[in-house]
Amino acid sequence: MEPVPSAAEPAGTGRGEAIKAIPVRHPGRWLAALIVAVGLGGLGYSMATTKAWRWDLVAQYFTSQRVLDGLWQTLLLTVIAMAIGITLGTVVAVLRLSPNPLLSAASWFYIWFFRGTPVLVQILFWNFIAALYPTVVIGIPGGPAFWHIDSNTLIPTFVAAILGLGLNEAAYMAEIVRAGILSVDEGQHEAAQALGMSRLQTMRRIVLPQAMRVIIPPTGNETISMLKTTSLVSVIGYAELLYSVQLIYSQNFKQIPLLMVAVIWYLIFTSVLTAVQYYIERYFARGSTRELPPTPLQRLSRMLTTFHVQPPLPPVAPPGAAP
Amino acid sequence: MSTRLSTRLPGVALAACAVLLAACGSSNNTTSGGSGGSSSSSESKVASIASEVPGSIASKGTLTVAADASYPPNEFFGSDGKTVIGMDADLAKALGEVMGLKVDVVNATFDSILPGLASGKYDLGMSSFTDTKKREETVDFVTYFNAGTSFFVKASGGPAINSLDDLCGHKVSVEKGTTQQDDATAQDGKCKSAGKPGVDVQVYPDQNGANQALSSGRADVSMADSPVADYQVKQSGGQFKISGQPYGAAPYGIAIPKGNGMSKPLLDALKQLISDGTYKSILDTWGIADGAISNPQVNGAQS
Repeated sequence: MEPVPSAAEPAGTGRGEAIKAIPVRHPGRWLAALIVAVGLGGLGYSMATTKAWRWDLVAQYFTSQRVLDGLWQTLLLTVIAMAIGITLGTVVAVLRLSPNPLLSAASWFYIWFFRGTPVLVQILFWNFIAALYPTVVIGIPGGPAFWHIDSNTLIPTFVAAILGLGLNEAAYMAEIVRAGILSVDEGQHEAAQALGMSRLQTMRRIVLPQAMRVIIPPTGNETISMLKTTSLVSVIGYAELLYSVQLIYSQNFKQIPLLMVAVIWYLIFTSVLTAVQYYIERYFARGSTRELPPTPLQRLSRMLTTFHVQPPLPPVAPPGAAP
Repeated sequence: MSTRLSTRLPGVALAACAVLLAACGSSNNTTSGGSGGSSSSSESKVASIASEVPGSIASKGTLTVAADASYPPNEFFGSDGKTVIGMDADLAKALGEVMGLKVDVVNATFDSILPGLASGKYDLGMSSFTDTKKREETVDFVTYFNAGTSFFVKASGGPAINSLDDLCGHKVSVEKGTTQQDDATAQDGKCKSAGKPGVDVQVYPDQNGANQALSSGRADVSMADSPVADYQVKQSGGQFKISGQPYGAAPYGIAIPKGNGMSKPLLDALKQLISDGTYKSILDTWGIADGAISNPQVNGAQS
């Protein structure tokens, strides 16, 4: 360590020696990192070398036709159920906040009922509705029927699955959207009213766009959760990813390797959805901060292409020299 | 923070729902069941057979037997919703008594039992398993009953199905992992290659779903082991009827993990039950004495 220039040095003889600052040591962090690395490394090693995991079977079934068909069904169900959930949920949330007491009460009842019963039961009810109402008839009660259809034809298994999932999701989304709407400052409503905007215009153009910042993270959460919730449709015999895998191992008895196939596919798509959510959040965060923080990709490219250059040190005049 | 436990634990919800549906008294279900309970005559331990039991199991004292309790009258839940009762449960307990072991019959989904045996979670599987050569690659069997597959349909307006070939163009509901699933799927291929309309095979996680599909009209016909089909028809109170004759009689086998040494003691214990009449009286309790066998074997699969 260089000695600090003594007070005896004559003034005006230039800058003293530069102070060499040593960064604070964090031995605890290094120790913890070592423990975690050893733990994870050991786990990874055991997973790679233990024969019972049968990674060869996992690789074999990973892209088999039945698994891919099941995967496609899962993705389809997720997208459609979330689409129904978000649109219907937004409508229900807006109705919930409506000054019309009938609409508000109906919306409250919808949310109460569809959140209050298990998704599994809802899916079963939609699928087996023909046990209650074998035909759906549209006509005058007690009079002529204009149109009738067999319930099983009106609601095939696929429709029962998306109704069960979508209507349930709409109830949860309604609460999320309501939270977002409530987060928008009341001043915005007043300003919109002062400008003469109708309730619908206010909602659509002022409130909902601002509410999105609060709505997106839980919605992303719900979408990722829906990806896995679709596995419940197995109770009505609908072959999505997990059920397809179960049908395969019910015949070849290789339960763990096939479940790993499903697990890996779910993880892949959860990662994709997480990344998509990140970029959607950034889109709606424009204007909320002066400059948005860099995305992981931007940070990576900056790290790879920028070289740190040591700035030149100022000249050090020898002690005693004339100014 | 909302915790939707029912969606985070589909397995638990599924089991709970199966019990809920079972308890709800839907038309084809088992509220009365074996009201006389499962009173097999109390067997006494036969020392010569008990000594054949391998030490590791004898020292445990209890055999864990897995059964999928959605299959009355062979295995189903009693009125408390927790105890597994039925022909398989009674037979398992009687066999245990002869061998001097206590028996704990636990519920598990059908297609998790054979993997569970391989992983040591259960000691035996007694869940109306048909002894097939394919299954013998994974486990050993001791045969104990003979059952075919029966078709059952809605009593009014159901189609007349007398054999597998009649299934072409129909919608069939079956339970996942059963031989009926394999048969119906194979028939679909045969129908299509003969130029006829295929079979729409609906596979449900348990027999309850398959029955519900039939009663709601999603399926025209359901297939199950003949004692199960007979029982469903009886319990349905006239909603279902058996169509045609059972086909493909094949033995049920007790599933034993390979190499755990229980094959011989079980075989001898079963022979003991047959010779002293307990076996027949258990089958009579459930009304399925038609499927009795007189000559149990180890690995007696014919196909």
